[in-house]
Amino acid sequence: MRAAVRLLALGWLFHLKMLSRSAFDGLLGVTWPLFFATIAFFLFRAGGGEQTLLYASLGAAVMGIWSMTSTSAGSALQRERWHGTLELLVAAPANFALILLPLTIAMSTIGAYCLVATLLWGRVLFGIELQVEQPLLFAVSIVAAVVSIGALGFLLAVSFVRYRFAWALGNLFEYPVWLICGFLVPLSLLPGWVRPISWALAPTWGVRAIRESALGGSPLPDVLLCLGLGTAYVLLGVLVLERVLRAARARAVLSLT
Amino acid sequence: MTSLRVFFIGGLTSYRALFYWLTPWVYVPSLLVAPIFQILLFVYIGRSAGVGSDKFYVIGNALQYAAIPCIFAMGFAISGERFQKTLGYILVSPARRLPLFLGRALPVMLNGAFVAAFSLVVGDLLLGIDLPASALAPLALVVLVCAFSCTGLGLITAALGLRVRETAVLANIIFGLLLIFTGANVPLGELPGWMRAISEVIPLTHGIEAARELADGAALRDVAGLLGTEAFVGLGYGVVGYGLLRFMEWQSRLYATLETA
Amino acid sequence: MAVIEAHDLRRTYKTSTGTIRRRSLEVEAVRGVDFAVEKGELFGLLGPNGAGKTTTIKMLITLLIPTSGTASVLGYDVVKDARAVRKLIGYVFGGERGVYERLSGYDNLRYFAELYGVPGKRIRPRIEELLELVGLKGREKERVEGYSRGMKQRLHVARGLLHDPPVVFLDEPTIGLDPVGARELRATIASLTEAGKTVLLTTHYMFEADALCDRIAVIAKGEIVAQGTPADLKAGVAEGAVVEVEVFGIPDGTVERVRELDGVRAVGVEERDQAQVLVVQTPADVELTHAILGQLDGASVGRVSRREPTLEDAYVALVGESE
Repeated sequence: MRAAVRLLALGWLFHLKMLSRSAFDGLLGVTWPLFFATIAFFLFRAGGGEQTLLYASLGAAVMGIWSMTSTSAGSALQRERWHGTLELLVAAPANFALILLPLTIAMSTIGAYCLVATLLWGRVLFGIELQVEQPLLFAVSIVAAVVSIGALGFLLAVSFVRYRFAWALGNLFEYPVWLICGFLVPLSLLPGWVRPISWALAPTWGVRAIRESALGGSPLPDVLLCLGLGTAYVLLGVLVLERVLRAARARAVLSLT
Repeated sequence: MTSLRVFFIGGLTSYRALFYWLTPWVYVPSLLVAPIFQILLFVYIGRSAGVGSDKFYVIGNALQYAAIPCIFAMGFAISGERFQKTLGYILVSPARRLPLFLGRALPVMLNGAFVAAFSLVVGDLLLGIDLPASALAPLALVVLVCAFSCTGLGLITAALGLRVRETAVLANIIFGLLLIFTGANVPLGELPGWMRAISEVIPLTHGIEAARELADGAALRDVAGLLGTEAFVGLGYGVVGYGLLRFMEWQSRLYATLETA
Repeated sequence: MAVIEAHDLRRTYKTSTGTIRRRSLEVEAVRGVDFAVEKGELFGLLGPNGAGKTTTIKMLITLLIPTSGTASVLGYDVVKDARAVRKLIGYVFGGERGVYERLSGYDNLRYFAELYGVPGKRIRPRIEELLELVGLKGREKERVEGYSRGMKQRLHVARGLLHDPPVVFLDEPTIGLDPVGARELRATIASLTEAGKTVLLTTHYMFEADALCDRIAVIAKGEIVAQGTPADLKAGVAEGAVVEVEVFGIPDGTVERVRELDGVRAVGVEERDQAQVLVVQTPADVELTHAILGQLDGASVGRVSRREPTLEDAYVALVGESE
């Protein structure tokens, strides 16, 4: 058990190290959501009052976390293939889930940089003041969002073990989650049938928790729901992983570039 | 005659060679599904913020998304050669440069036009934006012109991509800038003066405006001026891009920069 | 019980061609491979590129599931008990890949040590030992992207040995290394069996297999065409002779005509500096030099010599026969 925790922690730390040493990727990762945030700020300013701008700012801030995670989840395994390390990871006795999960959580952690960047951007360029009602819960909410988004990324990455061109599908999930998880669009505006899907996605609760702790409300149930869903994703991912790896070994797709 | 062959056959073959990875599994999600989601995203953001109509966002985003195939494909068509180490071989070939580069640009442009047209049609179907029947043919023309000017921009990106290692990052940033500055999502009136000035000189701004007017019932002759400006902008970027490519080629022969950059 | 056992291993790949009409092709990479490696042996799998060596080794290290046939390592089946197998094996492949370039050498080893389940307290001393063994001590804090090819390969070897596995698989480990680096690596490989480990090595360098291995299996086109000690394999061609004829420009069709001569076992052509050398294997008691020269009528001929066969000739004959 302790070995598993050590593996998770070490994996997370090393992937974080590797990701932060890649200047260009980092640059894009941080600036990409800013384009969308900028548009949102212009639109919300044109449309409504101050309150809505902070609402938009917080929502846009979390968009970055998802963006980093979803776009990397697909290409994470592709990168391991290029390095030649994917084979080594699969051939190791450790459970592959313990190797993959810290990778995606490291990515969503980098997304935290995006969060800070977006809030700063909103403050500097559009004068959006960040007022936080419950700072401690705000911090907790951010951590919960990061971890559970990492877990969702894990589930995505697991599904992509089998397919060489998974990176294209990974990018595909960026916009939909932005749309339906209430980052910039309140769930009430979405068609009824979409809402259950939104509720099943951890980012929805993560964003809610962050907003409630900043603007005033009760973020704790949201935090718990967020983490609960994250745990469910991990469990589901682990179950699927065994089957997926076996299929990958049967089809010989592990070392192909 | 050889130039014509270089143009058509060379262009098509290189397209297939470099885009071997462009299976339907990649093409459909990236170029056909993603723009629809982009349209939906901004339609709903617009509703949430209380700004603009559905039609506004559908047209803006459908046309803006053409930038993805045009810029990425053009960039990859050139830097992809470097990646596969075939660039050197192409540059020592005696083929005339203009048909060579243009031959690569044509499939890229047609693909871009197709993606934009597809997004428009699907956006219309999903959100019911009421495009007048008379506007359809003129809109098709606008789509082509927009694809043309994006491809021109793509040539510049391609040239820059020869020097910069991370072409994808560059292309993504350009895409983001186009998202903001072309009025695809933010009404030009909301942008500060200096930003509007930039909007005037980049691809898509005039084309998008023309398309929106057509969708509101204007006739082709009413938007001819805008279309002309768009085409002109595209031509300008194309010429600069072509010039840059030749310059890079010349530089590389002096300083051996291309293989290693 | 043998440490590594393979019984009628087969592996078929399905690929597809064409863009509009996709046809699927089945490629049989490994067609019924049988062998057994005893404890402490250095066993070589020798064959040309594309022979199926890498596919075979990947089946043994649990990365590929055989299409049919079975294999086991230390009694554990490679398909059913994959996890158990993975704890007992080390895997090293040649080339520059397989390491995290943005991390330091030390971090790479630290991470893999954790993956391989090296007990916490043993990790640091073990890493130090291995850095010493492969000669990377003092450079371990630098990022791997700054390492030379030889250094990356050495790091790779260290990584494969972190958990002190009793069985080590090496897939073309010296490929791309300079002669000095390759020699040092071979010395390290030889020391592994001295330490009691069982080693399976794949290579396409005959002299490497000859120098290092206790036993060799020659594999070509997915099948084992010969198995035995290097001496055994050489004996296969020992009662023979090799005639080498230096030719400046071998005319078309010569190789085929010489091959058809009575008594010729194998014909090969080597490039040496300015000339090509026609290498003909014949039985020892037959004198074919005149006949061979007769086929070279009109060509410019240099030195003609006759010598004893080497393992390389045995290899060429074996591999050539399967074509």
